[in-house]
Amino acid sequence: MHWTHYLLPLLKGAELTAIIGLASTALGAVLAFAAGIARVEGGRLLSWLALIYIEVFRGTSLLVQLFWLYYALPLIGISFDPVTTGIAGLALNIGAYGAEVVRGALEAVAPQQREAARALNFGWSHTLLRICLPQAIVEMMPSFGNLAVQNLKDTSLVSLISISDLTFRAQSLRNVTQDSVTIYTMTLIGYFAMALVMMAAMRWLEIAVRRGPAFPRSAHG
Amino acid sequence: MNLIHLAGIAGLAVVTGLGAAQATTLDEVKSNGYIRGASANEVPYSYMDESGTAKGIGPEVATAVLKSMGVEEIQWTVTPFGSLIPGLKAKRYDFVAAEMNILPDRCKQVTFTEPNSSYGEGLLVPTGNPKKLHSYEDIKKDPALKVAIVSGADQIDFLHDLGVPDSQIVLIQANADALSTIQTGRADAYAATELTVSQLVKSGGTGVEQAEPFSDPVIKGKPARSYGGFDFRTDDKDLYDAFNKALVTFKATEDYKKILISNGLSPESVEAARTKKMEELCAAK
Repeated sequence: MHWTHYLLPLLKGAELTAIIGLASTALGAVLAFAAGIARVEGGRLLSWLALIYIEVFRGTSLLVQLFWLYYALPLIGISFDPVTTGIAGLALNIGAYGAEVVRGALEAVAPQQREAARALNFGWSHTLLRICLPQAIVEMMPSFGNLAVQNLKDTSLVSLISISDLTFRAQSLRNVTQDSVTIYTMTLIGYFAMALVMMAAMRWLEIAVRRGPAFPRSAHG
Repeated sequence: MNLIHLAGIAGLAVVTGLGAAQATTLDEVKSNGYIRGASANEVPYSYMDESGTAKGIGPEVATAVLKSMGVEEIQWTVTPFGSLIPGLKAKRYDFVAAEMNILPDRCKQVTFTEPNSSYGEGLLVPTGNPKKLHSYEDIKKDPALKVAIVSGADQIDFLHDLGVPDSQIVLIQANADALSTIQTGRADAYAATELTVSQLVKSGGTGVEQAEPFSDPVIKGKPARSYGGFDFRTDDKDLYDAFNKALVTFKATEDYKKILISNGLSPESVEAARTKKMEELCAAK
């Protein structure tokens, strides 16, 4: 079968991959900031809760997490449709990794900054939002770019919880035609193309954040 | 978290728990307008063709039976074979139409309908059958031989009963991987039902053939013959009873025989499927 026959189904799958990738990365970013800030600024309890979340989701396999959310959770009554489950699983996973990036970057902000803010009577949230985060975000962006691309590729695992993403479509086509070489090559190229777009977008974001209204990180800017 | 929040969450948990405890009934399905079925994408028992239509023995019989019950639409989910029963229990779908072999262990997890098909075993081997394998027993002869099996398939139990150690078994994710597994030499043979193997060869697989002659494995004194059926959740008694009754009626018709024959089953297999009883298969040891 000619490769052009595979193009349409694979593109339909790629669309779902892109949607799931973007949604889970965005949600993951929210979780990463929430957990990372909780770890650094939160009191005892919040810090502990964040630590548990981070360690559990970093320490267990993403595939097993997805299976657990999809097959085990419904047995105690909590069930969502496959796409929601997939996005949730991916977001929780990448959020845990992102939280460590956020924590590291926040802790790297010079303590003198916080002392100066204290002296000037800045409140806790004011210090965080106006002083620490703007400097820390510049630090976080390269790692975030990495995690975003990784998350996009991780979406292939949702094919195992019956979501018709790019990988699932590839497997279905291959089941009928047994044309492994053509189909898998096209799938690889598909993921590569999407990853390139994601990498370019994250690079743009990196530059935009650096040029933003942040204090210069050093004399070199 | 104050008491009100706690009470609210507890209430939500109870409600969702109660919701999960409700069984699916035929009336519910009819008012929804559709029923959800699962397939493991194994040609010719139950698979999706290129246009996404469900084909094969399971889906075709299920479509006819459900039509006679007044349910026109089936929404299909494709899932790895090993996930079929977990997914059914998690209410991801309402029945499984993968012609799953009716085994006592499986009967404890789900309720099977009367058998819908009957099939023997087979081996997929490289062209020329270099290792001269003509039965599952032959695999035991050389400890260096590796046989591939789909994860969760009953061939694993057959081989265990014959005394083949796990070190000789290679588990693969899905039937679709079998061709590549043999072609790339990752395994010396692929153990599956006779129809599955003949379909793989027919689908244009180069460098492979069905092992001929082949004798079914003799398990506990009898040659192993598998009977495929539809799986339902044990709680869904109403839906199951309605479907089972309609299935038994359908099995006596010519259309039923036509579906099975067109998918490659022999007339003897059709007769075996028509006469065997589910209780017998679940009670076997």
